[in-house]
Amino acid sequence: MREAPVLQVKDLQVSFTVDKKPVPVVRGLSYSLPAGKVLAVVGESGSGKTVHALSILRLLPPGAQISGGEVLYKGKDVSACTEKELQRVRGQQISMIFQDPAASLNPVLTIGEQLTETLLAHKKITKLQARQEAAQLLEKVGITDAQKRLDEYPFQFSGGMCQRVMIAMALALSPDILIADEPTTALDVTIQAQIVRLIKQLQEQARMSVIFITHNLALASQVADEILVLYGGLCMEQAPADELFAKPLHPYTQGLLASLASVNTRPERLPAIPGQPPVAGENFAGCPFAPRCPHVTDKCRQSLPPLREIGARKVRCFWESTK
Amino acid sequence: MSACVEITHLYKTYYRHKWLFGKGSAVPVLKDVTLSLPQNRVLGLVGESGCGKSTLCKVLLGIEKPTAGTVLVNGQDIAGLDRAGRKKICRHMQVVYQDPYSSLDPRMTVRQLLSEPLDIHGLHPDKKQREQFLQDLLTSVGLAPSYLDRYPHEFSGGQRQRISIARALALDPQILIADEPVSALDVSVQAQILNLLSDIKKARKLSMLFVTHDFAVARFLCDDIAVMYKGRIVEMAPADELFAKPLHPYTQALLRAVPQVGRPLAKPLAEPGADVPNGCAFAPRCERASEKCRQAVPPFQAAAPQHFCACVQFTKGDVQ
Repeated sequence: MREAPVLQVKDLQVSFTVDKKPVPVVRGLSYSLPAGKVLAVVGESGSGKTVHALSILRLLPPGAQISGGEVLYKGKDVSACTEKELQRVRGQQISMIFQDPAASLNPVLTIGEQLTETLLAHKKITKLQARQEAAQLLEKVGITDAQKRLDEYPFQFSGGMCQRVMIAMALALSPDILIADEPTTALDVTIQAQIVRLIKQLQEQARMSVIFITHNLALASQVADEILVLYGGLCMEQAPADELFAKPLHPYTQGLLASLASVNTRPERLPAIPGQPPVAGENFAGCPFAPRCPHVTDKCRQSLPPLREIGARKVRCFWESTK
Repeated sequence: MSACVEITHLYKTYYRHKWLFGKGSAVPVLKDVTLSLPQNRVLGLVGESGCGKSTLCKVLLGIEKPTAGTVLVNGQDIAGLDRAGRKKICRHMQVVYQDPYSSLDPRMTVRQLLSEPLDIHGLHPDKKQREQFLQDLLTSVGLAPSYLDRYPHEFSGGQRQRISIARALALDPQILIADEPVSALDVSVQAQILNLLSDIKKARKLSMLFVTHDFAVARFLCDDIAVMYKGRIVEMAPADELFAKPLHPYTQALLRAVPQVGRPLAKPLAEPGADVPNGCAFAPRCERASEKCRQAVPPFQAAAPQHFCACVQFTKGDVQ
């Protein structure tokens, strides 16, 4: 893990403007992504996991802005890039796949047209060469009969197949980093296993780094080398995957793991976390998990715990047992 | 053990739109579904998207008419009912939908939402009594009585799903149909709603049809499980039995595919290929498929007492 990181996120802060007031959504996120590793960013809706990913590529929607911190790709600050420089970063160096594959593809263009578009925009090749390359890409992601399928439209592909096309498109320019934002949430479980395996396999072949964004801790445990748990726009816990699942330190991680239903056991009751996840903009002073935490003290409500380093892990909690 | 819902040889076919004249091509969605919902038990209906789970719910609720087959609710065929008859049945059969954001009218307060079913059926007309009933109802789903005059947008997803559940319970139904009630909720809230449903199951004498794509969730809540694939029930058994001894290759694959901490990534299943018109729908993805599987639809038969499976690998008495 001690290689030079391909991506460093330093104290990243993102806020949305609501009623002319800034509402922080990502509140100081730092991590580094080593080459050839998979980092899973785990969080619930509203935790800032997608917003943080979009800000790496500077694809934030109107009304959202990076209000602090920097994103360093191989030492270069992406957040200071001009639009022209960004075009080279996007796709060639960092690319992204999204949750709903069918909605990410243009319904009125064939798969071939959409794949060659990327290639022609970035490479000096002829249309025919681009088509050949596109067919190879489709085969690489496990789509058979690629030549024929290039002329088909997205509606002729199933959800899983569309996500394969998205992956082919994302990998067309051999990026160093792939950001996968809930790539399997819209898919069935049997298809989920296929897609996750495919991403993992391509990642290992190309020694690519992957930021795998998910709300599913169990899935994260199966793909990631490192896990980062987000809650209310803050990193609550970060640890190598095996350590995190062997001994979760933060009460939120513990609660989340305990509350998952399992196919192996049938408890009388699930140990649920009480309360609701925070809404962006509320609870600024203390720990965002304080209202739901079983170990909460007055200190937690008044001040935000710092992110403490314990060996290879980090945890944001005052609780004695995490020390 | 008597059954309160009895579905026999149910078929539902939709027709694709065709230009101007004639019927479009047929899309069979439910094929020969025979299912019974026993009293005071939770039947889990598990399957992937597009397998027909929600269509089955719609037919049960009378939203869609069956193409063939019968649905008996408390011994009464729901097909030939008039308005009054349907209203009577609805009183005993209520539903909770997947998305609590779209299933509650945003312009109604919680009081109005919960009162609507009572008004329709003329229950608790006394004002004072009604107020007390509504407050108790909200409390029973874990919400404060003071929430009665709020609007849905003031609540989070988990709280809205509690309101949906309260609305479904307002008529004290015998049958509750829950169509993926937790899959739209945040992970940390899912367990709360599952516990609530489990409490309801214990506290009230009702039967539940619990539709889900998630085996882990079904494991927690269901007494019996039916697995559906492409419009057919492929396996049905009491939950403990099914998880201990899944028979159908599709059930086995689905179980393997559920991500679990401490378990390596599942070996993926083949893509669903072209339909097999006369054979087992799962054959193109099945590792154990033989010629026989493609020639005839395997019969749905008992492999053990109360354990039914539609696979040619299992004939009667195979499993002890």
